[in-house]
Amino acid sequence: MLIVQQSLNGVYLGCLYVMVALGLTLIYGVLNQINFAHADFVTVGAFTAFFTATRFATKVLGVPDTAAYLVSIIAAFGMGALLGLAINAAVFAPLRDRGDELRPLIATIGVSVLLENAQLALFGPVPYQFDTPFARETFRIGRIFFSAQSVLVVTVSALAIGALYAFLRFTYLGKALRAVAQDRETAGLMGINPGLLIGLTIVISSALAGMAGALLGPVLVLSPFAGASVIVKAFAIVIIGGFGNLQGTIIAGLLVGIIEAFTVQYLGSGLIDLVVFVLLLAMLVVRPTGLVAERKEENV
Amino acid sequence: MLVAAAPWLITTPYWRGILVLCAMNVLLALSLNLVMGYTGQLNLGQSAFYAIGAYVSTILIKTYHWNFWLAAPAAIIAAGFLGLALAAFAVRLRGHYLAIASLGFAVITYQVLVNWESVTEGVRGIYGILPPVGNTLGLFYLIAGIALLVYLAMDNLVRSPVGDTLRAIREDEISAAALGVNGALWKAFAFGVGAAIAGLAGCFYPGFVGTLVPDAFNIVESFTMLAMVIVGGMGTMLGPVIGAIVLTFLPELLRGFGELRLMIYGVALTLVVLFLPGGIASCFKRAR
Repeated sequence: MLIVQQSLNGVYLGCLYVMVALGLTLIYGVLNQINFAHADFVTVGAFTAFFTATRFATKVLGVPDTAAYLVSIIAAFGMGALLGLAINAAVFAPLRDRGDELRPLIATIGVSVLLENAQLALFGPVPYQFDTPFARETFRIGRIFFSAQSVLVVTVSALAIGALYAFLRFTYLGKALRAVAQDRETAGLMGINPGLLIGLTIVISSALAGMAGALLGPVLVLSPFAGASVIVKAFAIVIIGGFGNLQGTIIAGLLVGIIEAFTVQYLGSGLIDLVVFVLLLAMLVVRPTGLVAERKEENV
Repeated sequence: MLVAAAPWLITTPYWRGILVLCAMNVLLALSLNLVMGYTGQLNLGQSAFYAIGAYVSTILIKTYHWNFWLAAPAAIIAAGFLGLALAAFAVRLRGHYLAIASLGFAVITYQVLVNWESVTEGVRGIYGILPPVGNTLGLFYLIAGIALLVYLAMDNLVRSPVGDTLRAIREDEISAAALGVNGALWKAFAFGVGAAIAGLAGCFYPGFVGTLVPDAFNIVESFTMLAMVIVGGMGTMLGPVIGAIVLTFLPELLRGFGELRLMIYGVALTLVVLFLPGGIASCFKRAR
């Protein structure tokens, strides 16, 4: 029973991690870049959701608090998209053509410091308590318990992943995006505007980060540094799954969630990061390309 | 000259403390520059070696009552060996994979420091650590002197054929291998030496602050070192030194801005990368 219960908890956690890691892996897959400010997009998303749910939707619009939380997820998604637009215009677009993998990374660290401290100035260091009406509702099947919040998180994540998959697979834009990811120059020659699509990738990734923030908000200690606590794990997931590979990231995210749930159960919560990163390093030794290998030739 | 004169221009104890910090940061930036600037290995785990230097030396002194001058070399060797351990990954990985692997390495080190309470005291920290030299001024001259020696030694190293070898690996590892360069060996060399220098800086940190907690070696510390190297000018000798000086003093000078301080720091970092891709050192080159 305990094993089933912890596996369910693991899937719930895993879905949260997948939501954070998806954006990272998407940006990497298309641009070969790492966005260190991704963590702070998650935090901004969480704060956006918090204020939308507790102040705006319930007090101003007067909607019931269950609907307010759903509205806040959409608001966080939108906020993430705006941040994506901004970081693309400020950092990724100007640095794109210089073909340097290091500089955008450093620039996003700068953006991360900026966002973290802007939020610190706005919201203060004291963590907020983000209650959702869904967390209070619990179901029980036999001796297994789960909250409505976890059902909601798994549903929203599944929908988001499904929508992303369908977009990449079946739409013209999605196909163009995959073409850009494979070979930017050739895609450009085929009449695709790589700049536009790279911008789109960053916007989608950031919107997903914002949404992940809304879902994580009630779980995390909601402070300006909330995102930073998950992002390192998200990086680990992206690597374990194979950089830039969506399927791999989803599998790895769920795996890490489940491992984390069992680590808490049997070894104690202090060791979570240790276990995850030892797994990461072991993975890099045994199979450096990740669970699902990245197909790429070496350019000499 | 300027280094020797600095403490006489700055006389308040607080700012002299910042000078000591600055000298340590110069060492750290130099250590990262060897790995990243000259060998081209994206390393986000440098804080791990800084931490090892600090913890090994402190534990040897506090628990086993070693002399500082014996404990420090032991700590440097320990950090160096840990660098070789990371090099084992670096040999197989490149680019962003290495970046995240080294980040993971730093996270693991941090977590070990937090969780291995019987040895490291965990988050409670170790208190009452004495510096090797009594006063701040002496400590500054000591660390700055060491930093200068390291600078000169590294300057010679990168001008030597070894430096050419490392640069060859940075530019194109496969072509370098075709010319008979043993990439794995030299990468391990760079990581080992880089880690040892960071460990050296770590030896002085606990004595200077007086306490030792794992939080001082958070991954943010790695990012700070990275920022120093980039802002100053990666792959130049003078660049990281300038970067370390600027980024140590900038947040302090901005203290008047209160909460805006670190926001300005973040913006400055981004702007330097956007508009000054070669770092501050490239300005001097252009002017010449």
